Amino acid sequence: MEQSVAALMQQVLPEISNVSIEGFEQIAGGFSRETFKCDARVTRNGSEEVLPLILRKDPPDVEAILHTDRSVEHNLIESLRLRTTIPVSRSYGYEMDPAPFGHPAMLLERATGSGQTSALFNGGADEDQAESVIKHLCEVLVELHSCSIDKIDPDGALTDPFHRGIDIKSWDAFMDSTIEFFESSYTSLNYDPMLMIALDAVYTLRRNKPRPMPLAIVHGDFNPANFLYENGQVSALIDWEASRVGDPREDLGWMVLMDVVSDAHVMDYPKKEGGFLAYYNKLTGNDITPEELGYFTLFGTMQIAVPVQQFVSRRVNKEYMLLLPYYVAQSSIPAFPLMSKLMGYEGVPA
Amino acid sequence: MMTSPTVDDLLEGFIVALQNEIMPHVGSPKAYTMCQMLQSLIQEVRQVMPVYDTYVAEEHNGMTRVLRETAAVLGSVNGPEADRIRERAATLGSKADVPMPPDQEPIRAAHRELGYALQDCITDLDVLQRAGHSEADAALQVIRGHLMGRIVRDTETITAGAGMAGRG
Repeated sequence: MEQSVAALMQQVLPEISNVSIEGFEQIAGGFSRETFKCDARVTRNGSEEVLPLILRKDPPDVEAILHTDRSVEHNLIESLRLRTTIPVSRSYGYEMDPAPFGHPAMLLERATGSGQTSALFNGGADEDQAESVIKHLCEVLVELHSCSIDKIDPDGALTDPFHRGIDIKSWDAFMDSTIEFFESSYTSLNYDPMLMIALDAVYTLRRNKPRPMPLAIVHGDFNPANFLYENGQVSALIDWEASRVGDPREDLGWMVLMDVVSDAHVMDYPKKEGGFLAYYNKLTGNDITPEELGYFTLFGTMQIAVPVQQFVSRRVNKEYMLLLPYYVAQSSIPAFPLMSKLMGYEGVPA
Repeated sequence: MMTSPTVDDLLEGFIVALQNEIMPHVGSPKAYTMCQMLQSLIQEVRQVMPVYDTYVAEEHNGMTRVLRETAAVLGSVNGPEADRIRERAATLGSKADVPMPPDQEPIRAAHRELGYALQDCITDLDVLQRAGHSEADAALQVIRGHLMGRIVRDTETITAGAGMAGRG
């Protein structure tokens, strides 16, 4: 694998030579891709440099939570890096041929900063940075949602990147086609009848569509584990594989749910601005209401719940034998009370 | 409570994960052996769990009978030892038989069938709700009320600790 990393670096950066890979090891790095870190020691313009790298590699199809495309992720990251001030890690390149790495893979710059975002909350070591980091995170999200879709994604690769039959010709078309996707996917994820809560969510979403809002590029997995920080700022927003065109309220809603599941408190900050939603509204003038946020918490949850529960379902059916889906299933349980509350179930605990 | 995956599915998953995802990365022979011991113990739990309650109940009822039969075979033998055996037969040996736990498989199958029936009701109610039948709103709340109790209990029973390992 190290040789393949060196070869890809040499290919994407022709100006470097004497590439050697050091410290290659697999890291936790999220649940959907296999992630490795290493350093590339290279010679450029007669000087030796060390380039810190991340390799993101696709798992076998049956083991993938999301079926995403490394070339689409690479192009998006580079588009954002070159056209906005959104902090992202440079994507050096990708290899879609499975031969060198076993599966398609991409190479990114390993950004500086801490990924231990749990240290920002619950009395953690970096809680003193939470106010400024989350304030910056909100500003980053606002910039993303303010980007011109055509400018960032001129080829339309983010229109329906997961081939779900999503129609973005209007907000209503987007919502209707997405909810239809949720409904049609249900039979492939209901490995246990208790998943009927998700089905109830699909119908509830269809019966209660909120006001329209202009579609935007959304991160798609905006959660407390997908940013790095240092010196009171976000140093990188990471893991762009779920990015697509959507309703900007989806990112906010998904963060609400993932705050609960991750025992984080992103949405409570910046406290001086009255919390994440208040600050987002102040910056955008969108006036998103708590009710809309609740709707999109449910909607954003279903966007991720469908592939995640399909992933669990394939494991329950023994199509593969990894441990992760069982852990994901256990970790998903705290989402149920919140989903129930958002749907108006009676007797939801405070 | 979900009936799928079963507890046995989880235990099987632990053994497989140890074999395929952990042991290949274990460098210490001592730790490798501990993994093998762990696999063996998990397999023990898989084998014991389905029969444990049944065997305990069977053995409880068997021991009361044995106490009685032992005393009966002694007949009219005299002495403090024989008296103590008869005393045990008269007290502990007279305990009523405990009920045998029912076979869980048909219960789980029925539970599953009922669960899918509720799921289908939610689908039918959605059609009625969209057709403007307000009674369907109330009917849906009946199902939701049932689910809510289960959600609260499942969350308390299944979750372990806060946060997600490996994610910040």
